[in-house]
This record gives sequence, C-alpha cells and structure tokens, in this order.
Amino acid sequence: MNKRIWLAAAGVLAVVLVVRGAGSSGGAVDFNRDIRPIFNKKCVACHGGVRQQADLSLLFREDALKPAKSGKRPIVPGDPDASEVVRRITHPDAHDRMPKGRDPLSADEIAAIKRWIRQGAPWEPHWAYVKPIAAPLPAVSKPGWPLTDLDRFVMARLDREGLNPSAEASCPALARRVSLDLIGLPPTPARTDRLCADRDPKAYERYVDELLASPRFGERWAAMWLDLARYADSQGYEKDPSRSIWKFRDWVVQAFNRDMPFDRFTVEQLAGDLLPNPTDDQRTATAFHRNTMTNDEGGTDDEEHRTAAVIDRVNTTFVVWQGTSMGCAQCHGHPYDPFRHQDYYRAFAYFNNTADWDQTDDHPVLPSFPADKEREGRALYAVIRGLKARAESLTATPAIQAARRQWETQLMVPSVAGKLKDTWQNEVLRIARTPEAERDGEQKMMLDWVYSEVTDDPALAAARKERDKTWGRINKLTPALTPVMEELPPARGRRTHVFERGNFLVHGPEVEPGVPASIGPRPTGLEPNRLGLARWLIHPDNPLPGRVIVNRFWEQLFGIGLVETGEDFGTQGAPPSNQALLDWLAVRFTTTDHWRVKSLLRDVVLSATYRQSSVTTPALTERDPQNRLLARGPRYRLTAEQIRDQALSVAGLLSDRMLGPSVMPPQPDGVWQRPYSGEVWKTATDQDRFRRALYTLWKRTAPYPAMLTFDSPSREFCVSRRVRTNTPLQALVTLNDPAFLEAAAALARRMAGDGTPADVDQALGRGYRLALLRTPDQASLAVLRTLYQAALAHYRDHLGDGDSLGGAVDFRPEQAALTVVANAILNLDQFVTKE
Amino acid sequence: MPEEHDFEGQSLAHVTRRHFLEAGATGIGATALAMLLGCDPPRGTAGPGIARNLLDPLSPLAPHFAPKAKRVIYLHMAGAPSQLELFDYKPVLARLDGQLCPESLMKGKRFAFIRGIPKMLGPQAPFKQYGESRAWLSDHLPHFSRIVDDVAFLKAMRTDQFNHAPAQLMVHTGSPRIGRPSIGSWVTYGLGSENQNLPAFVVLLSGGVGPDAGASVYGSGFLPSVYQGVQCRSSGDPVLFLSDPKGLPRDLRRKSLDAINALNQREHETVQDPEILTRIAQYEMAFRMQLSVPEAMDIEKEPASIHEMYGTTPGATSFANNCLLARRLAERGVRFVQLFHWGWDSHGASASEALNKGFFDRCKETDRAIAALVTDLKQRGLLDETLIVWGGEFGRTPMQENRSGADNPFIGRDHNAGAFTMWLAGGGIKGGVTHGETDDIGYEGISGQTDVNDLHATLLRQLGFDHQRLIYRFQGRDFRLTDVSGKPIREIIA
Repeated sequence: MNKRIWLAAAGVLAVVLVVRGAGSSGGAVDFNRDIRPIFNKKCVACHGGVRQQADLSLLFREDALKPAKSGKRPIVPGDPDASEVVRRITHPDAHDRMPKGRDPLSADEIAAIKRWIRQGAPWEPHWAYVKPIAAPLPAVSKPGWPLTDLDRFVMARLDREGLNPSAEASCPALARRVSLDLIGLPPTPARTDRLCADRDPKAYERYVDELLASPRFGERWAAMWLDLARYADSQGYEKDPSRSIWKFRDWVVQAFNRDMPFDRFTVEQLAGDLLPNPTDDQRTATAFHRNTMTNDEGGTDDEEHRTAAVIDRVNTTFVVWQGTSMGCAQCHGHPYDPFRHQDYYRAFAYFNNTADWDQTDDHPVLPSFPADKEREGRALYAVIRGLKARAESLTATPAIQAARRQWETQLMVPSVAGKLKDTWQNEVLRIARTPEAERDGEQKMMLDWVYSEVTDDPALAAARKERDKTWGRINKLTPALTPVMEELPPARGRRTHVFERGNFLVHGPEVEPGVPASIGPRPTGLEPNRLGLARWLIHPDNPLPGRVIVNRFWEQLFGIGLVETGEDFGTQGAPPSNQALLDWLAVRFTTTDHWRVKSLLRDVVLSATYRQSSVTTPALTERDPQNRLLARGPRYRLTAEQIRDQALSVAGLLSDRMLGPSVMPPQPDGVWQRPYSGEVWKTATDQDRFRRALYTLWKRTAPYPAMLTFDSPSREFCVSRRVRTNTPLQALVTLNDPAFLEAAAALARRMAGDGTPADVDQALGRGYRLALLRTPDQASLAVLRTLYQAALAHYRDHLGDGDSLGGAVDFRPEQAALTVVANAILNLDQFVTKE
Repeated sequence: MPEEHDFEGQSLAHVTRRHFLEAGATGIGATALAMLLGCDPPRGTAGPGIARNLLDPLSPLAPHFAPKAKRVIYLHMAGAPSQLELFDYKPVLARLDGQLCPESLMKGKRFAFIRGIPKMLGPQAPFKQYGESRAWLSDHLPHFSRIVDDVAFLKAMRTDQFNHAPAQLMVHTGSPRIGRPSIGSWVTYGLGSENQNLPAFVVLLSGGVGPDAGASVYGSGFLPSVYQGVQCRSSGDPVLFLSDPKGLPRDLRRKSLDAINALNQREHETVQDPEILTRIAQYEMAFRMQLSVPEAMDIEKEPASIHEMYGTTPGATSFANNCLLARRLAERGVRFVQLFHWGWDSHGASASEALNKGFFDRCKETDRAIAALVTDLKQRGLLDETLIVWGGEFGRTPMQENRSGADNPFIGRDHNAGAFTMWLAGGGIKGGVTHGETDDIGYEGISGQTDVNDLHATLLRQLGFDHQRLIYRFQGRDFRLTDVSGKPIREIIA
C-alpha cells in the first residue's frame, strides 16, 4: 500500500496504471491487480466468506496465513514452496488439484501467485478502501484545451488512447444541457439568446452561477436524492396508507438550495436528533430513515417488521454513503468482500435503538402546525408529553409494577393475550417469556407501556383518555405529522445480537455498535451511536464517501459514473474508468470545496470536458460506445421528472409553486383501484395540475404511471442507479397522455401568438425554438409545414375533431393543426434527450 | 450441478453483462435498422450472462437449455380459495365437523382472524372421482372434471406467509416484501418477447379490484422497469395511453409519426448517435402496438362456439373474457399472461365471502372458462408449449372461522399457510398426476411437500432455465427468483 502512495507522490501513478499486466511477466506483483482477481474468480466461492472449506478463507490475510484444517499453512510469506496453496494449485493429480473439478490455473496465474508469495504475500486493501490522494496534474499533449484542472486528467487519458477531444458544443446546445443538468428545466429562448450574444468570456460562468442560485436547483437535485431516500407518500404493504412525510422532501429541496455542505447534510439526516439541542429542521431531516415501510396487516409481528426497517436502514446507509453492499453479510460472511457476519450486526446496532416500531401512526412523529394554529398546537403537544411522563411515572409505582407482573403471568392465556392489538402479541409474549432480569431496557419499557395501555387502573385509564382527547384536538388543527428518528435513552436501550442466518428470532452473540474494520479503523472520539456513525461516514480517514458522492453527481451529468456500479465500490463492482480523476475530484470535494455540492457541480460544468459537443462518429461510437473516455459530451435521454417538467415548461404551464404537501395531477382512472383502501385520487384543478414531477403524490403500490414508464423506481427500497430503457410504452406516454396533450395545446397557443398565426412558418419556427432553442433549417421547417397543412386540411373538414383535441370549445382549425405539430415537436428525439 | 460452478456462473454473468454494455451499443443501430426494414432482430443468448441490449430490451433471447414451454398463463385466485372445497377431499374432516379443535393443532400457529378455540369444519361440498386418473373433485367444478387428466396437482403446497399481500408477493416474487421482481418480469428479462408489437408481460384483472399487494405482484422490482407487467384493461384504453388523442385520426397520427421520424433521421445524420435510430424504431413499434393490442383484445369476432365454450360476453370485465384473451395473447407470442381473479377470501364474515354463498359464485365464474382455456389451447396444438398455472396465495384452515358469533349464517375458513393445492397443465407437465399429500384434515402436508421456490424453479425449468443461474445483480448482490432455495418438482415433469 505504501508503494502506491509513493508512486502517486512521484507523479507516475497514471503511467503505472496504463501498463497493467506488467506484473505477470516480472517485477513487483500488485495484489489488487494481479492476485485478488484470481482469488475472486477461482477460489473464494469455496474459500471465501460463505463457504470456508478446509477452514480456509482467502478474503483476509490473517485467515490465509493461519493453518487450515489440515494443520498446513496455506500461505507462508516468502516461501512459495512451503505454501500449501502453491502445492495444491500445481498438484499433478487432478483429484487433489485446486480449483477442484475445474481447469487448472494458467501458468501465468501460478507464476504470479508464486512470485507474490516470494515477495512476502503483501495484502493490499481493495483500491476503494485506500484513502484517495490527489495526484499532481498530469502533463497533456494539448495544453490549450483544458479549461479547468479536471480536464487534464481527462486529456491525459485521451492522450494515452490516442484520441482527441471534441469541439465545444454550440452555445444553445450547451445552454440547454447545463440548464437541464443543474435545474432540471430548459432555459427560455430569450435567455439563451442573451447568453449566446454575450461576447464576455465570463458569460457562460455567470449563466452557470445564475442556475446554481435558482430555487429550481434544489428541486432538481432533490429528485435524485429521493430515489436514494426511497421517499414515498405511503407506508407500503397491503393497505399502503398515506404517510405524511413531505416535510422531509422539502427539507432536501431547501438543503440543496442553501448548498448545505454534504457532511452536514449527512449528519443531519442520519442523526439530526442526536445533535445538541436539535432544531425542528434537524429532526425533520432524520425522516430520511423513516421512509422505511410500515406494515399494519392483521396478525403480523411488529417486531419482525421493525427489524426489517432497521435492516433496510443499514443497507441503505452503506449503499448511499459507502457504495457498499452490506446485504450479503446479513445472513453470513460476505462471499467476496472483506465484511464479516458480525460487521453487519455491529452496523445494525447503530440503528437498533430508535423508538419507532412499525406502528400505523408512524410514531414517533414531529408535529408541525399551520402558522395560525402553531401556538395552540404546541401547547396541546406539550400536554401530550406531560401525559406521557405521567403515565410513565404512574407505571413505575410498586403497586402498578406488581399488577403488571400479575398480568404477565396471565398473558399465556389466549383470551388475555387476545385483548392486545394483534400485531403486538408476538413481541409482548416473547418478552413476557423472558425472565425479567434478562430483559433489556427497551423490553422492560415495552411491557410497561403495553400494560399501561391495557390496564383498567383508573389513573392510567384516565391519562389514556385525556391523551386520546388531546390528540383529537391536535388532529383538528391539521398538523403535518412527520415521522422522525428518536433515540431511546440509554436505560431503555435495546441489546443487539447477531441474527443467525439473518433470522430475527435466532440470536447469536451480543454485539456493540461498530464499523467494518476493513474500511478502516473507527477513529477515536466518536460517539457509539448514530451520530458517531454519521461522523465516521464523512470522516476524512474514510476512503469511500468522497468518491462515492462525487461519482453520484458525475453520473447525473454524464449518464454513467466514473465507477459504473455506483452502488458497489467493492471487489465485484466495476473498476473506475479513470481513478486518478475520481480521486482528484473526491479530494477536492471533501477539502477545497468543503463538501459543497454547488462548488463540485460548478467545477464540472465549467470544464472543457463537459462543454464538448455530443456529436459522435461511427468510429468513435465503436471505440467507446458508452463514452467512458470522454472524447465527446454527454448525450442521454432525460429522466422521468425532466421529461414532464420540460414539457410543461416549454408549454408555459409549469407552476413555480414550491414545497408543501404532495399533489395529484391528472392520471388515468383505475390506477388506484385497490382492496381495503378508501383513498381516492382527487385530480387537482388549480395550478397543482402543473407542478414539477417531484411534488406528485407517490403511492408505493400504485406509482404515477408516466413516471414508472420512464424508468423511475417504485421507491420501496433505495435504488442507487436508474437503468435507462427504451420501450414503445414511453412513446405512447409522450404522444397520447392527456397531460402531454395539454402541454401540446398550450405550446400551440404560444406558437400562434395572439389569434390566428399570420405567418405559418413563423409560428412553426417559434414552436421549434421554444422547445429546442434552435431555429429550424429549411428542410426541417418543410417537414413541419407539411404536417401542419395536412392537419389543417383535416380540421377544416372536421371542426369538432379540433375541439376535442384542444380540450376547448371553438378551437380553431389552425390551433388544432398547431397542436398536432406541437405534439410532434414534444416527441422529437432532441426534445427528450439532453444533448 | 455443483454449487461452486454456479458461483462462477454468477461472477461471469456480471462481467459478461458489463462487457456487453460496453461493447454492445455498436450493434444498436444495426438492430434498429433491421427492425425498421422488417427483418427479425438477431437472437441473443440468455446464457449465464444474459447479454442484452437495454435499448432493445425485449428482443428474443435463448434460455439455458431447450425449453418445454415457450410461455406461461398464470391464473391467480386472489384471496386464497379453499382447497378443502375444491380438490383436497377429506372424509375424516367431515366426521369431525362441529367438534372443538384440539389445542395441539393451535400450538405455535398464527392466524389472521381465529381467536380462541374454533370448531372443525367438514368439507362444504360433495366430492367424486373423475377421469382416468380418478382425481377427486368437488361438485363445484363440473367443467373441470373434463380436464383432470391434463393437469398435475400439487396437493401439499406450503408458504410461510399467512396474510394476503405478503403471501401474494411470496407467490409472485419469491419474497414477502415488496421490491423483488415478479415471475413474469424474470421470465421476460430472461427470454425477451416473440412479439414486439404487444407487451411481453400482460396482466388481466377481474373481480372488481386488483390484488392485495397492488402492482408490486407484477412489478419488476429492481429489474429495469421495462420488464414489469403491463395491465391490459377491458374497458377504456386496453393499455394506458394506447389510443390516439380524441380528435386525432389515425392517418394524421401516421403523418405526425412520419414528421417525427424524418426530423429524427436528420438529427441522426448530424449527431450520429445510434440511439436516435432506436428512437425511430421505438415510435414505429408504438404505432404498431396501437393496432395490435386492440386487435388482440377484441374478442367480438370470435365464433359463437368459442363464446359458448368459455362463457364470454364481449365488452364485459370478467374472468371468462380474460381466459379467452389469455389464449389470444398466447397465440400471438406474448410471453407471460398473468390473470388475477379477486374474491376467494372465504372467511364467512359476509355473504360474498362465504363458502356457502360467494364461493359458489367464484367457482361458477371460473370453472367453465378454465376448462375451456385448457381444451382450446389443446385443440390448437398450443397446450404443449404453454404452461398453465392455477393457485391462490395460501390455503384455508380445516377449522371454521366465526368472527361474528354463533348465529352467523355464513360459513368460512381462516388462512392456512401450511397446506394448499395448486395445479399446472401443459408446457411439458405430466397430465393426470397428483404430487403431495396432506394429513387427514388437510391442515398440513405429510408427503411431497413443495413450496413457492420449488414452484418457481419448476416454472423456470420448463422455460429452459436453470433457476440458480437466472440472476441479476442489485446492491452488490446476485439475486434470483428462487433466492437461496427451490428445486424443480421432477415428479410432475413429463
């Protein structure tokens, strides 16, 4: 590992990376480059984290060096001949030779392993687990091309491949690209003209800064973050009832708009409640992990689903911030990455101590009231808290405790247990069966609480009645009740055990909170709770978050990450296409830029790399189909949100109302047809019809169809990366969905100007420019004119048809014909693509 | 197959897939053009890596080995029909009728609604034997008696979920929680489609409401959303947004597509991005789909004899209509047709969900059409290559559930995850066999027990897949429909 750092410091890292494979013919063997791939491909299936046949695992050095079941040492550093591994991979008898039952290793592979052992069998951590360092800027063949430092890393790579960068994109194309990227909406033709007429070399920079300062910025980037947060306005499972958690969405929008540094953004979402004197905003941020699903079906086990939510929190946290899949280690050691089964539950322990437990009311919630009712609301909420404290102190009295013990002994009688809410029964009985002395703090609290809910004791019954009455009054004030994280006090904490084979009922050894050692030791001085975990996730010694986060933003701009598998930076993930660039960006983001996303994005969009034209050639497409080398600009179909927002925007319909409860724009009938659910979709009639896609109500079991068709996930779990597909159903949405027709009719009105278009070509050109920010050439104009004339002829003969097309009475044939043209423009490849 | 081998298959898959994505795009333009010119798209392979082109994600792929079945029609009876009133004849239970359930049967069980000690409930229908296989059938299924020798019964199915939504998810995705791909998604991911003018995975609902777990039971989970089931509806647009807007006639739509394509073609000449050609193909496909879906969904022109056979009424939303549609879609090469019929949750809490009332109606709504579907496919020579699956999400208890007290005129049973009956037909499945046996009261399997993973492994096997090698990597882990278990049920494979 030190070798790497030394090389990088000498500025030749890039060169070393080019001459990959050198290790196989002589010289120093690089474990990650030459040895780990052999182990992963040929060995760890049987000698890894799941199966450790003959007691041998090749995931950790300490395990590979210690004697195996046979007593022989698999690897003896410095001595290949004494290493059992070497004897077995070269064994002449196929029966004893490894890999068993497979083709033997190649002569090169065997030679590399021998040489590596002779050199001391140094075990390097996987590249992503080594702290990134910013390499010195490489020299490039065309010093005039780079506009920013990052360009030099791109160009150095192009130099090595013998490729040239592309010319800068046209001004309108670039204006549209960067606007779609930064705020999710296209610019107006007027703004584009102003930019393109401005001769000042700083004009583009000023334009970028204007976009970064726009309130639309937060809305665009929240859309990305909400996939990761698995944000939805419903609880999931069968009834999938509504959940009021839009305040969290608003928090994300505002955090991006204020350019909250990403480290703070991280800490507030994961542990805002544990900060000293947390504000309501900081507590709202913790709703990030309250987006887990809640199950209230009859007969389910609340503890089982609470556990499922905690598991989801662990998996989501590691995927989002660490690009690491911990899911495997839930049931057993990770098969190929260096995570042990216990590592999973040590991470689990961080999240296992919150007060929520799969209740229908999503308790605990943070109420927030309409401004005029806030004073009254807060007063009533204080009453609730007082009643809770009173119930707790009443329950703690010896008399009630004695009664509670008496009740416990009766719980085994089905008719007594049957009085409990059915989803509580399993957990309550499990606790009751546990001797009192062995219960953890949370279990004691749980029984006390459940007892206080069911007892006939007059004082407690009165407190309950008073509480329910008070809640009734609170609910009349129409508060938003946002589910939040709330840590149990230490005395009431849960103990965490390893779940054997992932089963929450089969407990293994007890574990303390902790992070996987292979990603690096937990720095001292961090709290042993969620706050400590959050600080570790963004700690300067943690090698992953800078890379993982930078990669996510890069992927949004370029369509593919520098690490393609943004959710997996482990040994089975894709290697980075340009590690020097990734590391340089990560270091800059976390140090110079102070985790500021706007600075990061600004760096990237001002680069020559980003500004390149996306025009390609068959040769370049064949050479680099995915544009990993960046010899051209990005060209990708827009996201589901961008497609809707852009159509509304160019039609002049888009509402600029921000934030607030989710809205119901038009959707086809029947999408919400579900058993046991009385909820109905009430289509908005005001400007809420035309809000940005981000604000559309998201029901997990019946997501908005147009969104789903354009590859948005259904938000049950964190989806790190949307896969872009291409289906005829997408064409049907933009051609025929009434929402898109409404946009076409509105665009047609803008094309016509006031009344009948005096000059048809002018109207057609205006529509083209409104949508695409370009003036059509003669041939393109002729295509539109032909369509217009055909449509006009039709609507002159069929006046009624035109009316229904525009959704308005007395729609003139000219407008109907323009609507047909507008509908076509809104379906052009250029329109649905970021060029 | 040794497990070690599978593992390498999985890692290879990952490499292959990535390799394809890196290398594959050059082929896109050629493919799109070929399709525009009316040529068949080149066949890929669904070998361990399932190389695929996400810009043409439904092009046909070959499975791991030669398939017995080319497609699946899955008839899901949502709410979980009682096996004890249909297929699983229990004379002993009849003798126990009305007796209190022994506590030993209640121990360690979780019920959705039974509280306290229930009474045993004998079969609520007479049973007789039919066919050469002498299969027992209740009198509720007169038409089914004609096809008993074509089906294989699984009498000792079990699941570990006893609530509708998770149990339906279990049956359709292999996991009780939402977020995993459904069977149809896996199958279309693995095989693509033989008809690019129709959705590859079609969902048809009847009974008034959709399944309990919503669209998740035909969702694509973490697979690309192109593989999710497309609900085709019998009223309104059969597929969302299929119809041209009101006031836009077909010839004008054609002209507008011509304009879109012409401008896209010009764009391609400048930009040379092969994705633009794919876009042109996509719009042409949509245009063809606008014709072919309504054509496939229109049962009006079917001869009277067929309507008589299925009991169909054109224009209605019914299970019978959906069965006929399933045949029409199967004929046209749709890969996976998923039917849901709601209303089998016979708790006895009301007339519609009583074994002595609503249950009769459900049987009448489905019996004739199911027999007709099997018979019709057979007479068209399609049964051999079409796998039909019938079942609910769990079974029902031999105990009576009586939520509202002694005077309840309605008879019902609670949910039972321990035993239920499913049957399969066609697609290389043996006819006239029964696999698995339950105890004397139909409460739990005592031999030949099979679970949802086994069912899925069997389905995939008939379609030509080794279920351990049909995989997709998500959050860094390789997932499969059968998770970490499942074994093809060889006893019912011809």
